Amino acid sequence: MINIPKKPSASYLVILGIPSAFIFSIFSFLRIGFNLQDFKDNLANRAIVTEPLFNPKWKWAWENTSEALLETVQIAILASIIGCACALPLAFYASRATNLNKYSYFIYKSFLNLVRTIPDLFWAMLFTVAVGIGPFAGVLALIMFSLAIMGKLLSETIDSIDPGPMEAAKATGASHNQTVFTSALPQVLPNFTAYFLYIFELCIRASIILGLVGAGGVGRIIETQRIFLRFDRISPIIVIILVVVILIEQFSVWIRKRIL
Amino acid sequence: MNIPNQPINQKIFKYSITFMIILASVWSAAGLEITMDRILDAPRQIATLIGAMFPLDLSQEAFERIIPKVFESLFIAWAGTVIGAVFSFPISFLAAQNVAIGFVSRLTKQILNAIRAFPELILAFVFLPITGLGPFTGTLAVGIHSIGTLGKLSSEVIEGIDEGPLEAIKSSGGSKINELTFGVIPQVMPTITSYWLYRFEINLRASAVLGVVGAGGVGQELINQLRFRDFPRAGTVLICTIVLVLAADTISAAIRNRIIKGKIVKN
Repeated sequence: MINIPKKPSASYLVILGIPSAFIFSIFSFLRIGFNLQDFKDNLANRAIVTEPLFNPKWKWAWENTSEALLETVQIAILASIIGCACALPLAFYASRATNLNKYSYFIYKSFLNLVRTIPDLFWAMLFTVAVGIGPFAGVLALIMFSLAIMGKLLSETIDSIDPGPMEAAKATGASHNQTVFTSALPQVLPNFTAYFLYIFELCIRASIILGLVGAGGVGRIIETQRIFLRFDRISPIIVIILVVVILIEQFSVWIRKRIL
Repeated sequence: MNIPNQPINQKIFKYSITFMIILASVWSAAGLEITMDRILDAPRQIATLIGAMFPLDLSQEAFERIIPKVFESLFIAWAGTVIGAVFSFPISFLAAQNVAIGFVSRLTKQILNAIRAFPELILAFVFLPITGLGPFTGTLAVGIHSIGTLGKLSSEVIEGIDEGPLEAIKSSGGSKINELTFGVIPQVMPTITSYWLYRFEINLRASAVLGVVGAGGVGQELINQLRFRDFPRAGTVLICTIVLVLAADTISAAIRNRIIKGKIVKN
């Protein structure tokens, strides 16, 4: 007879967590007003959208979007470069490995977390009110967006660097700043480049919708057509955007492979 | 001491990259008509806006309007994540190379890529005329986008499993279904669950934004207050959103940590 060991009892997380997650899901679905009958009725009207959506007006889209699309790409380039450049020093202050002061570490870390909690489109709304409608507001919004992501990713990378080179630098009598510059920075630079390209892709995607709140880019054209329900004009714009996004992503993947 | 020089082609590479980055930013800034005085003026303008938000509008009426909207965003995010999780779970098995046959896996992956390509906001306003203004549209948009992202992440988890347990099940006479239920699922479940929670955090931010096109959530409230120049109330909306997102992030991160790292046993 084989002695089968007793199965350990389930933890509280499983006993309480799974049922409560289940109940919360049902509650959420009730609160968002999900109603199968209404959904079926509404689905009968789908022709309003689907018919124009699948009869795209290519010529119109091609003539009207190219300029705004260029603006979108420029917003993403500028914002990701400035945002990541600002995040580089911040990430060193927001990491336990390179910031020895407990209090300033906490302040920088919470600052990055705070910036991260506000969604990109909220930043865009705030900046359009502050500096006026136009691509400048979009650039500022995406700077905050890329600053937050880069700050988080890079500071976590710095947390897990190899402490050996830093100790070696310290043993030669280097000051703290010299230690960070000569032994912590070179260790994370390859990651920084990879993250930068990743954030650039995210910025391209994010900058498409910035125009919906008046922060420049191709979203501006989508918004004006959306209000008039001109889905025959929107669908080719979306397809063009997708092609551009995929091309840029492929380019960025290619660069990443070459650099790393 | 003899310090070796950096190889010359590496130097050229370094300088040309720097030059390209500067060139790209100058080109973009010129194209967007961003001048120096606009940049220098921006901090003052932002400070004016932040100054206009304080003191915050803490009246009873403001909270009665804002709090339900904030929770609506939470429900949209959770329901959207549930839709994403339920549908992406079986799909991810079809997309995994080591479970499904090559053709099916490649096809499913392409479909997932196509779904992922549309931002939630664009899905939302395409659904809007069909499903009407309100949180249900937002949930659909968030859910469908989540299927794409979660399907991709989960299928990559499945592809990375240890093949040993599968062989053991096979050698003891288990069927293909046994392999999945006893070999694959126990291995991937912790990581996939933590991805679901991680997606919930992202969806919460996405659902907060969806109100801009009228698909429910707190975004509608913020854009209305900013349009009517009611800055103290806009500030309250922002603070409420930040509190909700921070709380949800903290709880979700703690649960994810517990799932991945396991219980810390004190001796």
